[in-house]
Amino acid sequence: MTMTFSGKTAIAGIGATDFSKNSGRSTLRLAVEACEAAMKDAGVSADMIDGMITYTTDENHEIDLCRSLGVEKLTHFSRIHHSGGAACGTIHQAAMAVASGACNYCLVYRAFNERSEQRFGAGVQERPPTPTPMDVDFGWSSPFGLLTPASWVAMFASRYMHEYGATTEDFGRVSVAARRHAANNPNAHFYQKPITLEDHQNSRWIVKPLRLLDCCQETDGAQALLVTSVERARDLKGKPAVISAAAQGSCDDQQMMKSYYRKDISGLPEMELCADQLYRNAEITPGDIQAAILYDHFTAGVLPQLEAYGFCDRGEAKDFIKDGNIELGGRLPINTHGGQIGEAYLHGMNGIAEGVRLIRGDSCNQPQNVENVLVTSATAVPTSALILTQDS
Amino acid sequence: MSNQEQQLLQTLRAHVGEQATAVVARDPVNLPTIRNWCDAIGDTNPVYTEVDESDIEAPAAMLDVWTMAGNIPRSYDPNDPRNKVFALLNKAGYRTVVGANTKEIYCRPLRLGELLTGKMTLIDVSDLKTTGLGCGYFVSTLTEFTNQQGELVGSWEFRTFSFKPRERSSKGSKDRQPVPEHLQVRPRPGKMQETEFFWDGCDQGELRIQQCNGCERLAHPPVVRCPECGSYDLGHRAASGKATLHAFVEPVHPPMPFMQYPYICGVVELEEGTRLITNIVHCAPEQVEIGMPLELVFQQPDPDLTLPMFRPAVPSINKTTLNFDDLQEGQTLPLYPIDVTTNLVVGGAIATRDFEDIHHEVAAAKRAGLKDVFMNVLTTNGICARYVSEWAGPDARVKEIDIRLGAPNVVGDTMTLSATLVSKQRVDGKGRVTLNLRVANSMGNHVTGTVTLEFPTQAAAGGSL
Repeated sequence: MTMTFSGKTAIAGIGATDFSKNSGRSTLRLAVEACEAAMKDAGVSADMIDGMITYTTDENHEIDLCRSLGVEKLTHFSRIHHSGGAACGTIHQAAMAVASGACNYCLVYRAFNERSEQRFGAGVQERPPTPTPMDVDFGWSSPFGLLTPASWVAMFASRYMHEYGATTEDFGRVSVAARRHAANNPNAHFYQKPITLEDHQNSRWIVKPLRLLDCCQETDGAQALLVTSVERARDLKGKPAVISAAAQGSCDDQQMMKSYYRKDISGLPEMELCADQLYRNAEITPGDIQAAILYDHFTAGVLPQLEAYGFCDRGEAKDFIKDGNIELGGRLPINTHGGQIGEAYLHGMNGIAEGVRLIRGDSCNQPQNVENVLVTSATAVPTSALILTQDS
Repeated sequence: MSNQEQQLLQTLRAHVGEQATAVVARDPVNLPTIRNWCDAIGDTNPVYTEVDESDIEAPAAMLDVWTMAGNIPRSYDPNDPRNKVFALLNKAGYRTVVGANTKEIYCRPLRLGELLTGKMTLIDVSDLKTTGLGCGYFVSTLTEFTNQQGELVGSWEFRTFSFKPRERSSKGSKDRQPVPEHLQVRPRPGKMQETEFFWDGCDQGELRIQQCNGCERLAHPPVVRCPECGSYDLGHRAASGKATLHAFVEPVHPPMPFMQYPYICGVVELEEGTRLITNIVHCAPEQVEIGMPLELVFQQPDPDLTLPMFRPAVPSINKTTLNFDDLQEGQTLPLYPIDVTTNLVVGGAIATRDFEDIHHEVAAAKRAGLKDVFMNVLTTNGICARYVSEWAGPDARVKEIDIRLGAPNVVGDTMTLSATLVSKQRVDGKGRVTLNLRVANSMGNHVTGTVTLEFPTQAAAGGSL
């Protein structure tokens, strides 16, 4: 059975702030700027906005944005959990809300000063006096010094390397491709700064087996997107990017970043669950996808994603990548904006915007004849994904 | 080198070639002393104690035990060239002496009743050298052991370093930002009612796995209701402590002020089937590999925190001697962690008839700058021999131990032995194997060097294949 909202909504506007290492302004201001830009991009006014969705990890309440944006009435507002796993989940939620009639013009946003204020890479060091369930969860790992996102992802990577013979060079090729794409993107941190595999191999260890150049570029900034019905979108300024499918996924013995207790930890069952839903609802196969935005907080997570979404068999992503398939001109160019490694780490939201640009045909690294784009969210957490499609 | 140093070196080297008065063992090679040594070192090869007296062999690494002075005041030997050299060095300010290298060659196994004589010769004084400890001179002696027939049965080369300790610079520590108190210790585990049993178990030295009292399903991390049978009646069982490594990482950056680097975080799979995030300890990061067998060891990073950690599982003793033809250059021996206990250090010192106070008296060890008594060289030698012998099997014999001495093995630490087979060849119809050996503890390498083993081969045994 397909989901009733499939193909009924579209992303009609995208907007972002600059991506920087120190924004010099509040995250509320960043969120408002991004929302305003998305509204302008779509050509909608504040009085049309009636829905707002963000991450539970975002510190800005929709009501505070409304006061500055001039939005007076909201009929839908909600939040999605699990950090970077929420990225496409916000669009999934917006599509359901719009398709059901709960709202008509829904803003989705994410803003943070993740570089200058709360840097995730610094790891978990806080010592709360009264433990929450989250602290109990961290209690199984933090006392042992397993404290940073890089270390949580590296654990999966170590097992993946062991089972499939992938190497740090295979991870490096993901980074090299991202940086090559970022080099053409004026909004990217690493605009005009490509790297070689040798640079990657010479970069210092962060958490073995991950190096500095395996890690995303922590960023201050905000990204917003506007979701509405396909019919309404056709009346707006730009070309709609139809949400032909969106899905969330959480699987057996699911943990936050540390699902090490299930039998198989070299695959991504929650992504496979998303993939099943996406292909069924969009009524396409992996062969119908021409480009993808694969969540790249760390390079190592990209390999099992290529497998989970059916672009190659288990364990074969290293060969798929080595053969140039993820590059421009390859079978499946990925992260054409430079990804979170090359453009900016914005918890996956900037990747959704790039998905929209790929459908519109105005990416900095635009492949030809893009009909369908896959966008994914974080690995190692309860996650989400979507497929954006040309309006027929 | 200054003129003064050149003069000193000349005076020192004038004694090279001089021989100390020969030392005759007080007792012949005898079973009680062998038995005490085997008990202290933990060597259980039956050929040392369990066979007919005429077939008994003394452990090779006991070579220099027989002529040790015993627990009596040492009589001063006016002929001892090492004493003369040490006196000169002491006068020149090179007052601290540490063992640097020891190399023992065993010509053949000793039999009960053989009476040994040791003759020590000063064979070398090095140029002035600067090491991590300071600058000074390496002094080498060679002791040759003969039996009552005058037959050479083995030799012992010992190199010591007499030095002036280098001044410790306090630079760097001043500029460092003070670490806030709450970041000086590792994060405490967050607990709730349903997970407290796990941490209570740690305090009692028991690794607990949640077990459903209804259907016996195991769960880690704990659940509050058994998803299998629906029961809220959840208990726990004690894990055996045996595990294998499923995945691991080595965090490097950003540095956490409360962690000691390097360290390994691993996911281990317990014998019972559940997994656990933990630290892999008592081995170097480069020795860690997925699939390695592990054993539980509780550790206290600070007095208020007891954590279940894992270390390489102690390998079992090989009761059947390995076939020389099956051995391959490059193959590694299983890691072998041994806790450095007071019992081991003091027992080892006495069993090797070494009565230096630093090996049995805490106050003396503290005067030497260490927090507790530490292992003597002969015990280390014995444990190295035991390690390679337990791997090789009862019919292999240690022919040579050539090691460099490093960080002391202080009580409370753990020594982990590892070795790699670097060469194999046939000598006089027997198989000879050289192993690169490393014994590491928390301070670094305790010893590094080589051990040579001799294996019986089929040809030597008269086999036709």
